[in-house]
Parts: sequence; structure tokens; C-alpha cells
Amino acid sequence: MAQPTQSKATRRSFLKLAAAGAAGAAAGPWVSRKAQAKPVSITFARESSYVKNFDVHFQNVMAPAYEKATGIKIEYQIQAAGGSAVPQLVSMVENKTGADLAWVQQEWLYRDALVDVSDIAEEVGKQQGGWYDEIKRLSIDKGKWKSIPNGNIGQLMNYRKDWFDEAGIKSFPETWDEFLEAGIKLKAKGHPFGMSMGHGFADNYSWLYPLLWSYGVTVMDKDGKKVALDSSETAKAVEYVKRLYKEACIEDCIGWLDPHNNKAFLTSQISCTNNAYSIMVSAKRDLPEMGKVIEHGLNPKGPNGQRYHALVPVTHGVFGYSKDPQAAKDFLRWMMDPKQYRPWIASGDMYFAPYLHAFDKVPEWDIEPRVKPFQKVLETGKLTSWPAPANRQHGEVINRWIVIDMFTKAITGTPTKTAIAEAVAQIKTIYG
Amino acid sequence: MSKILEASRAGALAAPARRPFGLAAFIERESIFSWLMLTPPVLFLLLFLGYPFFYGVYLSFFHKEVARDATFVGFGNFVKLYNDPIFWQSVRNTIIFTGVATILKASGGLAMALVMNQDFRMKAVTRAMLLLPFIVPTVLSTVAWQWILDPGMGLFNRLLVVSGLATTGPSWLGTPTMAMISIIMVNTWRGLPFFGISILAGLQTIPVELHESATIDGAGTWGRFRYVTLPSMLPVIFIVTTFSIVITFFDFQLVYVLTGGGPANSTHLMATYAYSLSMGAGQMGLGSAVALSMVPVLGLLLVLLTLYVRKD
Repeated sequence: MAQPTQSKATRRSFLKLAAAGAAGAAAGPWVSRKAQAKPVSITFARESSYVKNFDVHFQNVMAPAYEKATGIKIEYQIQAAGGSAVPQLVSMVENKTGADLAWVQQEWLYRDALVDVSDIAEEVGKQQGGWYDEIKRLSIDKGKWKSIPNGNIGQLMNYRKDWFDEAGIKSFPETWDEFLEAGIKLKAKGHPFGMSMGHGFADNYSWLYPLLWSYGVTVMDKDGKKVALDSSETAKAVEYVKRLYKEACIEDCIGWLDPHNNKAFLTSQISCTNNAYSIMVSAKRDLPEMGKVIEHGLNPKGPNGQRYHALVPVTHGVFGYSKDPQAAKDFLRWMMDPKQYRPWIASGDMYFAPYLHAFDKVPEWDIEPRVKPFQKVLETGKLTSWPAPANRQHGEVINRWIVIDMFTKAITGTPTKTAIAEAVAQIKTIYG
Repeated sequence: MSKILEASRAGALAAPARRPFGLAAFIERESIFSWLMLTPPVLFLLLFLGYPFFYGVYLSFFHKEVARDATFVGFGNFVKLYNDPIFWQSVRNTIIFTGVATILKASGGLAMALVMNQDFRMKAVTRAMLLLPFIVPTVLSTVAWQWILDPGMGLFNRLLVVSGLATTGPSWLGTPTMAMISIIMVNTWRGLPFFGISILAGLQTIPVELHESATIDGAGTWGRFRYVTLPSMLPVIFIVTTFSIVITFFDFQLVYVLTGGGPANSTHLMATYAYSLSMGAGQMGLGSAVALSMVPVLGLLLVLLTLYVRKD
């Protein structure tokens, strides 16, 4: 008889406990919100920088300086690198909660959620030598600046100078044909190229799109109304990539995501790939011998005699759902002031190259001669949408890897014509 | 004796009824109390599973882009998918991936359980170790697999080269067929312990007497497996397989980390395609439609499972 009584007592005390817990949980956010009301804080989200000092400088120098000057605390929310920032930004926008301002990767997906920052952009442009033209086509939407360009992550050919010398290649190939020849020689010596062609997010576009462009082909026409990919020049570019893959590359590279080519380069499996200068940073830190023999070459010229590079832009935008968009804008303006902006960019060793002409001749570009070529990317760089507007449809083509897969399908046995036709059909569906 | 027991039970049941009605007594009623206990998990499920699910169903009937209002399109998204070759490729891939991986896991798991059911030294430690693939977070173990499958430096190819079996190993993620084989292999590696341990638990419930009498009747090792072990194990194998199909069908992390669906969409599963459409391309409606297309197949499986369990 004693047992049921005991069990009832336990149930009752459990219920009491649960009720107290629920009350506590309900009170929790209210208490903390009250506590946060003063001082005001601004949350700034950014993908972690490959050059660690860039984030360290922001956290240790800039954020405290802003708090000292205004009393507003800056919460620096570092997002993991590797493609997970976009989904995070998308869910922030969809749920109308999260950071006040951010590195707005793939901003074409959610421009409508960003506030107009034209006043800041015009002021910064006037003060710092003007903006590079190409980046305006990303940041300006319907005549209004929706983001402030912060810098470009340059993508170039990373190659092993020692192996190129051994193979008798004295300077980095000037044309894609010479590039193929060099690759054939190096592969014969056991040092193939490793050109990423998988479902990554930068190292695949950064050479395949410039290659297409240098064959005189673009995905869309200038207005973004008509598919321009369906041409005989595209077929030539595809045939070239098929040869390059077969005769000069490591077999694995058609499946590579962005970390794979870094790994293969640093483990001496490949002699050349297209990447940011992060490989050199890692090598200098961990493999000093290799660090000495890595060089950067420009993308080769194509049959149309032109040389192109793909921009990988970093832009900052303010979300309309922010409790105080004006405060976030003020902070953005302060960040772009040369007093803050220049030391910040310098702390990142020019990994983020400013889209402002005032930086064209700054001595920071000359500290590491192997970083200098990345300045050229700004001059010849285009957005992946080029020459069409950088809109949602273009983003869909990019994020569904339609053009990249056109090349890999052809490599894995689909006839070139069919691979192109399938890509064109997909693009037509996307653009409607 | 039984009369005394009955009398005391009647007394116990009657006792609360005599007490005056109050909130405490009301709560303490078995039917009320069980519902009180059930409500939090049910609410939790509704909130965190029900809400996203129904929101997903809602979205799949709308043209919804990120940061824009939704417009109703009826079955428009499904029609679009019907005409989308990548969608059909991802359906094919998902079926192949789930089918092959489940067969491998079921047969491998059964073998693992039979071995683990034997007596040998360090049995307990070995059993615990076998659970490791299941315990390590998928993303972590998949990153390790990236290294194992590396063409030049990877464990597999180094072993092949060092042992003299090949001069260079295959490109594990570099061709469509090999990439599919690789993701099936990693999924099997991860899922095997689930089968192994579940079947092992089942094996231990088979009475020794059954085996003994079968032995007396002249059954050998195979005969005992075929006519005693397997029939006793079928219910467990069936349930574990069904659960595994559901989990494998929805697999995302492994492919996302290892291949991103490439090369040339050869490893794109419905889950990764839904993700790339919603999160990458910002087409929430279309992405939800892909995700929703997975439901009928899984629903059917769950109905089968329920019917089977009920029959039992």
C-alpha cells in the first residue's frame, strides 16, 4: 500500500518541478532582453578569413575602438568557411532575425531584404579614388547600392616553379594551348595539373568561366534575356577542357570540392591549380621548402586574344529587419573610413583586394611579390554573370553547377553537342 | 490467499474514490496523468517536426524565392520537376544508393552479429569498438574518409601501391561510377554497426534449447542457421532494414561533404538536390517539392512497418 502513495508524491513533485522550470524558461529571455537593452550592440556576421590576422585585427582593434567611440558593442559572428555561410544568410533573411549586417554572399538571392546604402557607397567612392566598374554591377540594383564592396578574393593559377623549371617551362604559359602543352610535359614527369571541376563554390568557376570567355563565349547575352552559350565556340572550349583533363590533369579533379585542390597541391600531387593564395599561406607556414617554390600565374589568353579572371567578391550589406538599420549603416560607414579600412585590409595581407582605385599604388601590394599578381585580377576580373546582370537566375545557374557540369558531362562520355544542349535547355528553363 | 489479495486490491481502488474531488486527485488519475506526461513530447514533435513538415508541404505549392512573397502555383513545382532531368537523375541515384547500401548493411550486419555472438577473448571491447562508426559524428568521419579516399595520399591507394597490387590506385571520387561506389561504401561503413548490434541483441534472445534440439535432430551449422537462427531473426531484420531504408533515403551530410553531388550530378541524391535548390538557388518552393517527393515512398514503407508490427 505504501508504494502507490510514494509514486503519487513523486508525480506531484515532478509536476511542481516542471511548472517551476517552465516559468523559469519563460522568464529567461525577458530578463536577458531587459539586460541587453543597454548598451546597444550590433551583430556583424562574416565568414572566417583565411588570413587569420584579418579577423584578429577586427576583434582586437576595430571592435573595441568603435565601442570606445560610440558605446555600441560590436558582436563579431564568425561563420565557418566552406560554403555554409549562404544557407545561414538565407535562413536569417527568411526568419527576419540574426545579424544586423553581414558579408552578404550571393546577395542576388536576397537583395530585397537589404537596405539602400547608396549614400555610403558614393561617399566612399568619392573619397577613395572611385570604385572599379565591374563590382558596381553586383552592388547596384535598380539604381541603388544594396551593398558596400569590401574586397576581392583573387583567384589565379597556383603553380610549382621548381617543377615547371625542371620541365623546361621558363615562364607561365601565356595561352591556353601553351598551358595544355606545359601540362602534358609535367604530367609525363609525374606532376599533373589539378583543375577543380566538381560541385565546389569558387575554384571551379574561377578558371572554367574565364576560359569560356576567352573563347569568345558568354552564358547569357548582355541583357540577360537570351542564352548565348549555344555556339560553336562553346564546343571548342569543351573539347579543349576534355583534352586538358585527359592529357594533363589528375583523374580525381573532376570531382573536387574547394578544399581538395589545396590538399592535393600541399601533398605534392599536382603542379598547378586555380585557387586563391591560401595554398601559399599554408605552405609558408607548414611546409617552408614548398613555400619558396610556389608562384602565381595569370589565367592564360584564349583564341580571342583576351585574358579574363573571375571575381570572388566580398560585400557588406545591412538587413532591413535589423532593429536599428541606421546604427548598422553608421558602423558600416565607419568601417570604410580610410583610417579603419586601410589598416584592416593591410592586416589581411591584401587577401581581400579593395575595389577602390585609391589602393592601386599603395605599398602594401609590394610586401610579398607573389601577392602582387592578384591586383591584376581586379583589372581583368568579371562577375560570373558577365556580361548579364548578376541576378537570381544567374545565381541558380551557378549554384546548380549547370555550366561546370556541361564540361564534366562531356569528359565522362556525354557527346559534346548533347552536353551543351542539355546545359542550354536547363539555362532556358531557369531564365524562363 | 487470492481472496485476501482481491480484497486488498478492491480497497486500494476504492480508496481514492472516497476522497473529496480536488485538482490533485484529478491530476493523479491514470488517464489524465498519462496525457499530461505525453503532452510535452507531442508539443515538441508538433513544433519541431510537424511545423517544418507542414510548412514544407505548404511551400511546395508556391513559387517562393528567398526574401520575396510566395505566389500560389498549385502543382507547378511538381510539373517543373517532372521535366527536370537532374531531378530524375537524383531519384535514380537515391534509389540505387539506398538499395545497394541497405542490402550490404543487412547482409554485413547479420554476418557481424553472428561473429560477435561467438565466445572469444576481448568480446566486450570488440563489441564496443564496432559501434564507433555509428557514434562519431557523420561530418567528422566523412572528412576522415576524404583523406582515406585521396588518390595519392589516401590510405586505400597507399595500401594498394605498397602491397604491390597496383601501380596507382583508382580515382575514388573522380569518376561517376567510382564516386557512387565510394558514397555507398562510406554509408555502409557507418550503418553496419546499427544492423550488427540490433541483430546481435535479437540473436541473444533465441533459446539455446532450440539449437540443442536441432543439433539432436541432426542439423549441422548451416542447418541450424537456416532453420533456427534465420526464421527467429526475421522480425528484427525486417524492422532494422525498414528503419535503415528511411535513414539512408534521407542521407545528406555524407554526400554533401564528400562530393557535393558531383561529378556531373552522378551522386546527387534527392536530399542534396533539394538543399541545392532551396539554399543555393533560393528556390524554396521547388526545393520543398523535391523534399516532399521523398515522402510517398517513405510513407509506404512506414505503413508496411506498422502493418507488420501490428500483425505480430
